[in-house]
Parts: sequence; C-alpha cells; structure tokens
Amino acid sequence: MSKLSIHSAWFVLLLLLSACTVLRPETPPASENPAVLGLLEQARTEAAENKLQSAVATIERAQRLEPRNPWLWQELARLHLALGDHTQAESLAARSNTWAGSDRALRAANWRLIGAARAARGDAAGAQAAEARAVELER
Amino acid sequence: MKLSTLRQYLTRKRLRLIGLALLLLLAGFTLYLDFRVRDAFEGRRFALPARLYARPLELFPGLKLTPDALIQELARLDYKEPLTGDEPGRFARHGNSFEIVARPFVFWDGAQPARKLRLDFRGDSLSGVHNLKSDQPLTLARLDPLYIGGIYPAHNEDRLLVRLEEVPEQLVQALIAIEDRKFYKHHGIHLRGMARAAVALATGRGVQGGSTLTQQLVKNFFLSPERTLRRKATEILMALLVELHYDKRDILETYLNEIYLGQDGNRAIHGIGLASQFYFGKPLKELTLPESALLVGMVKGPGYYDPRRHPERARERRDLVLAEMAKLEMLLPAQLAAARSAPLDVVEKPTMGTTPYPAFLDLVRRQLRRDYDEDDLRSEGLHIFTTLDPVAQTSAEQALAKRLAQIERARKGVTGLEGAVVVTNVQNGEVQAVVGGRDAHFEGFNRALDAHRPVGSLLKPVTYLSALMHPDRYTLATLLDDSPLVWKERGIPDWKPENYDKTFHGQVPLRLALAHSYNVASARLGLELGLNEVLDNARRLGVERELPPYAASLLGAVELAPLEVTQMYQTLASGGFRVPLRAIREVLTAGGQPVQRYALAVEQVFEAAPVYLLTSALQDVVGEGTAVGLKEFLPPSLKLAGKTGTTDELRDSWFAGFSGDRLAVVWVGYDDNRPAGLTGAAGAMLVWGELMRKLDPEPLAPPLPEDVERVWIDPASGLRADRDCAGAIELPFVHGSAPEESAPCASSPVKKFKGWFRRLFE
Repeated sequence: MSKLSIHSAWFVLLLLLSACTVLRPETPPASENPAVLGLLEQARTEAAENKLQSAVATIERAQRLEPRNPWLWQELARLHLALGDHTQAESLAARSNTWAGSDRALRAANWRLIGAARAARGDAAGAQAAEARAVELER
Repeated sequence: MKLSTLRQYLTRKRLRLIGLALLLLLAGFTLYLDFRVRDAFEGRRFALPARLYARPLELFPGLKLTPDALIQELARLDYKEPLTGDEPGRFARHGNSFEIVARPFVFWDGAQPARKLRLDFRGDSLSGVHNLKSDQPLTLARLDPLYIGGIYPAHNEDRLLVRLEEVPEQLVQALIAIEDRKFYKHHGIHLRGMARAAVALATGRGVQGGSTLTQQLVKNFFLSPERTLRRKATEILMALLVELHYDKRDILETYLNEIYLGQDGNRAIHGIGLASQFYFGKPLKELTLPESALLVGMVKGPGYYDPRRHPERARERRDLVLAEMAKLEMLLPAQLAAARSAPLDVVEKPTMGTTPYPAFLDLVRRQLRRDYDEDDLRSEGLHIFTTLDPVAQTSAEQALAKRLAQIERARKGVTGLEGAVVVTNVQNGEVQAVVGGRDAHFEGFNRALDAHRPVGSLLKPVTYLSALMHPDRYTLATLLDDSPLVWKERGIPDWKPENYDKTFHGQVPLRLALAHSYNVASARLGLELGLNEVLDNARRLGVERELPPYAASLLGAVELAPLEVTQMYQTLASGGFRVPLRAIREVLTAGGQPVQRYALAVEQVFEAAPVYLLTSALQDVVGEGTAVGLKEFLPPSLKLAGKTGTTDELRDSWFAGFSGDRLAVVWVGYDDNRPAGLTGAAGAMLVWGELMRKLDPEPLAPPLPEDVERVWIDPASGLRADRDCAGAIELPFVHGSAPEESAPCASSPVKKFKGWFRRLFE
C-alpha cells in the first residue's frame, strides 16, 4: 500500500467516525415508518457483521418504501464508501443533500461523506472544500 | 503338425479372435453407453432455464393499497379462498380484514417461511399487519413474487426442478403403484415383464410394455421412439448402467423432473414441478391425493389423458391409479372414496406462450446478456428477481389498447395504429413496465426497445436545459424571439423552421415557448447556444446514440427508441442525477445462493438548479401548454411535468412525463412510418393520462435547490412584480438572476405595504 493511500485510508476512517458521531446522538428518527426503521436497523446489523452487500440490498429495499428519505440515501453513501466505491458514495451523498431540506446536521454529514470519498480518491483539495462546507453548515 | 490340425488350430484361433473382437466391441459399446449415460444424467439433471420473478409486494402499515388491489394481487399470485388450516397460498376476507397464509419463498436476503398473516385496512390504506401464529404486529411482510417466465433452451423445454423431499409421498406411491411396483427391488430391468414383452414380440404383437421407471427414464433421455429389438437392447444396457451408478432416490428424482407431461403451445411440459403449475396452478407441495394421482396417470399418455381436452378419460385413469394404490394398501378405503369423488380441479389454461410479459422479458434478457452466457441462462436454473410491477404493467397494457381503439373509433380511416410504453420508478430507475405493442402478449417486434423513431419536440427540453444552465443569460422569464428564421449552413438547404400553428408569436417568455412548444423560438435559442453544447447535454442526459450534428436535430430530427427517451427523461425526473435504468434486482442460484446484485447507481450530471427550473417549465406544459388536456385525467394540483412530441406530417405521437413517483414514456404511430394524423396531445398523451390515472400518481414537488428563490413576475413584461399585480406569477430563479427592474404595477413600496396590510386581514 502506498503512503498516500494509507494516509487517505486513515482520513476516510476519521471522517467516517466523525460523520457517525455527528449523526448518532439526539438526531430525529430517520423515518416515521416502522418498516423503514426496521430495515435500517437490519442494515446496520448486517454492516456490523461486515455483510456490506446485504446491507446495501436492505437499504435499497427501504428506499422503495420511502424513495425520498435523505437518511436512506446517506446510509447508502456510507455503505458504498465502506465498499470502496468512492465515486458512487459521493453521488449518493449529493443525492441525499437534495432531499435534506433545512436539516443542516444531515447536510453537514453528507459533506463529510463527500469529503471522505474525495480524499479516498486522492482529491485532497476537493476533500478540503467539502470539509469546509460541513463546518459552515455546523456553525 | 498335420495340415488338418493346423487348419483346426487356425480356425479355433480365428474364432477366438473374432470372439475377442466382438467382446471388445461390446465392451467398447458399453463404455460408450456408460459415458453417455453419466454425461447425460449429470448434465440433464441441471439443465434448467432461468426463472424470472416480478417485484414482491411489500406489506406494511400505512401502505397505500385498497382491499380490491390486494385481491387482484392475490389473484395474480393464485391465492385461493377459503383458508384450509395452515395450507399456504390461501386466504379469507372478512370485510376490511384479510387472513392470508403467505407461501414460503427464498429471497435474496434468505428464506422466508410460510406465514399466517392478518391484514387490516382502513379506507385506502393498510392499517395493520399481524403474524397470527405469534399474535404479534409486524412492521413489514412480503408476499411471494409473481413468476413471470423463464429463459428457455432453444427447443423450448421448460422445467421446474424439484427435490425428492418436496414431492408429496402419495405422488411417489401412486407412481410406483401404477408404473413400476418393483422399483425399489429391481436392478434397472424387470425380467418377468421383459419376458412377457419378448413373448409378445415372438408372437408378432410387437415390442411393448414391461418398462421399469429406469428404462422409461433412459428412453426419455436418449432414445428415439422407434420400437426395435436393437433399441430395446440398448435401453436395457443403459438402464443397468444407470442403476449401477446412481441410487434409487437419484433415479426417482431425475425421473420426476424429466417425465414429459404435456404441451403448452410450443412449450413442452417436463417434470412434475412444472406440471403441477401447469395443470393445478400451484406448487407441487400443495398437491392433494387426487391431483397427484391424476398427474401420475398422465405419464402413460399426456395427450391421450389430457384433463383439459379429455376430462372423462383423465378421470377414469386417475381412478384407476387410486384403485391400484388401494390394492397395495397405500390408501384406506375412506381415502379412496374421498379421492374418487373429488373433481379434477384443473385450472383454466394458464398464460399463453412462455411469458405474459414478452416485452419486459426481452429487456431483462438483454440486460442479463451483458453479464451472463446465454447457455448459463438456459441451463443453470438461476432465479432472477426483476423490477416488473404487475400493476403498472397491466395498467400500461390496458391504457394503450383501450386508447388506441378509442382513437380509431373516433377517426375514420385510422386503423392498425401501434404503440409502446415504458414506465419507471423516478427515484431509483427501476423499470416497472414495458409494453412492446398493442397486443402486449405478442412475442414479436418490441417497439419499446427497437422502434427508433424521430422524437420531435421531446428533445426540446435539452435546449432549454442548456439555456437555463446560464442563469446570467437565460431565466424562465427571458423573452425569446419567435419571428421568422432562416438558417444557412454550407452543404445543406436553408433551414426555415415553422411553428405547428403556422404563425409566429413575436416575443415569448422562455417557459411559455417550451410550454407551447414553439419551434422557431426553440430553434433560435438552440442556435444561440450552439448545436454542440445542446447535443453534448443530450449525451449527458443519457442519450448514447450518435446525434446528427445538424440544426434540425434541435427540433427532434433524431431517431430514438422509447426506452432511450425514458433514460433521457429519467435524468430530468431525478433532479439531474443520471440513474441507469434497471430491470433486474438480484440473481440467485437454483439453490437460492446469491450470485449478483444490480445495485442502484447515480451520477450527478447536472446541477440541481437548472433541472429544477426546467422541471417548472415542464409543469407549465401540463398546466397551460400543449398538455393542458391532461386535466381530463388528473387534477392539476398534482403538478405533473411532461412534454408532447409530434413529428413531420404527424407520423409520430409522443408523450414523456413524470409525477413524484413514476416516469412514463409513450409512443404512438404506424410501423410503416406513414402519417398517423395524431399530435402528441391527440395520441400518446391520452394513453399516458389513462395510464397515470390508474396508477394514482404522487404529486410532483421537487426539492427547492439551495441557490434557487421564488420571485413574483409580471408575465407581460417579464419584470419583477408582486403578488398584487394582476396576473402576476411566481417563478423560480437562480439567486441573483431574477430581473431587478420592477413592472409598473409593483413600483411603489407604499403599494407593497398596502398589499401586505390587506393580506393580513384577508
């Protein structure tokens, strides 16, 4: 592994962690639909067991019930980032942003994901710009 | 040595040599047969077509679903009333409450056992889902998906592989009782039966009977139906070899999957799994005793004992099988009596051909071919979960057939119109329906995929999108010039576009030039922007075909298939994100192991703002433009977006449009390209309206991008107004692009204040 990719891998990990800590506490429920929440929970379990493809399938299933739910788009972005599909992760986070409305915390988390994806691709400037957007949204 | 001794010796030697040669030949032949037997046995056991399924219906509290729609879904899935204990595939309705025993099914995420559910409705939605066994409320339940067809080998055999464990015990008993009582004892052949057959041959009554199940299997596998001694000998040898290599359970399982049980058009019905579906419309496991006996009885002659064509013969044969079983004490007298008095219960002829949805399957097959070998698709028994939504598919088929018939009735001399429809999910690009022609069950020319026709004004939104990407130059309120235009290009004749109404409209706001589909204003706009820029944006929207680099392309002198148009509009409908259209979700092996998933993919190819502005203009097409007639089908409050398309001499009638949840593209015209006499609004739009009305679409409310604001405008001048100005409208603008100058009606701040004050008390 090259130095650069080790560096970016760490960066991704850090950003992921920070995205998680931003997301988990005191956030509103990701959906009002218990079916969607159940699938989200299932996907998280699958992801924790490192069954990432299953988790993607589960989120897509939830998404068919609530196609415009930005949390689901974001979860997909996170999973694709973990799968190493950085371009897809960035696009999915951007799609989440279009449905995020005025939820600044959600949008900030999306920008962090975008930053992580860019960093992983070796686009340091892009990653920094994304990070700046996230910071701005959190102000 | 004496000469005679020598001769004797030589003769003996020659005889021995000949004998040895014969023995070698026989051994070679046996080895050859052995090879063939094993090869065929292994190969054929798994030669299974891929099996395709529609999307499963997801049931959860809050789902928009009427009790009638549920009944239709249950009917498609062949669920029967009433409940009979815990038997899967049955349901009962009590007013607004249903009890259903959902069939077990292996999905991508694992096996789902049979479940007894209660579904409660309130009005037009599902209010509760309960697991009746545990008496627990469920947040989500899934019905088994509809089987929609297979990908068959060239010789059109179909099969539904079953494991011996899944076969009802009584069916096996019935088979043994009537076809081969000594099956578990013999070594592949039945000497006494063969002796009888030999006597029959010797006395000149031909070769007949005496075949064991093993011999029947061998015959089915390799041998032509001719009846000669040599063939009989080969059959015996092969049967012995099969018994040598495989145990009785293997042989029985293969037999049950191989046996020929009838004909459905050009499709041969092989195996009891498929026969169970074909004759009784249910999985093998659910077969009753009389049904099992009927199938077994048909082995002797599926044509002769066809229960649909010869119910009396079939019934006699079934009763004979039952009687044989009783004789062998496999049945109690009461069971025998009950089974004999049961009706045949054969279902009406199932769907014709190999699939009721040939156009959709065609798309699936093409997408699969990118990743799979055609032979694997035909032999590996893959389970393929598609995105087909039977509700959308049926609605699209009916809307097309109904409206084309209506148009033909209303217009003298118009007959033989054709059409095509594609329906997708706006968000994830899943293809929900494909209709390839007016007769949706015809497995022929698939117009949705293969009819490349000029798209006319359907391409105009690309020009307008290109313009709106320059907010400093163009907004929805910008006045465009719709006066006569002559375009000179070296090497081609002068181009003088005209409007459909043969008049010029002077200065027209951009959004209305699109809404009314003015050709001249649109062409001039495209030329201002540059042909390359517009065509490049068409490619970014997802048009993969090379577009001719001529000015006429701006007005749609470009030939695309409905599916290609769908891909282009999909990008608009999903806010500038290109989402590849998908007809497949998952692929599983025959054993239920996941093989491949076709994941949702998105790529942002346009900024949100210009797409949002364009969508607003496409909503004006429906609100006040060429598609205003849609209000006959759907309330304007849905704010649907769409575009009509009409080509030269009214040869092609198009409509592409989307709601909050679905995108649909419709083409109507003649196969031989002669003028149909229909504009987009007079043909395709009616089909679209009919279809969308049935699907109860969600309103279209795209999210407002960060950099877009809504501003009141005086439409006549295109200047800033406020809502008190007569006729003022609110339009979206990219920040900083709205006109700064105010129209006279909105000039004074006092007036503004008065207006605000008045609204306070309204």
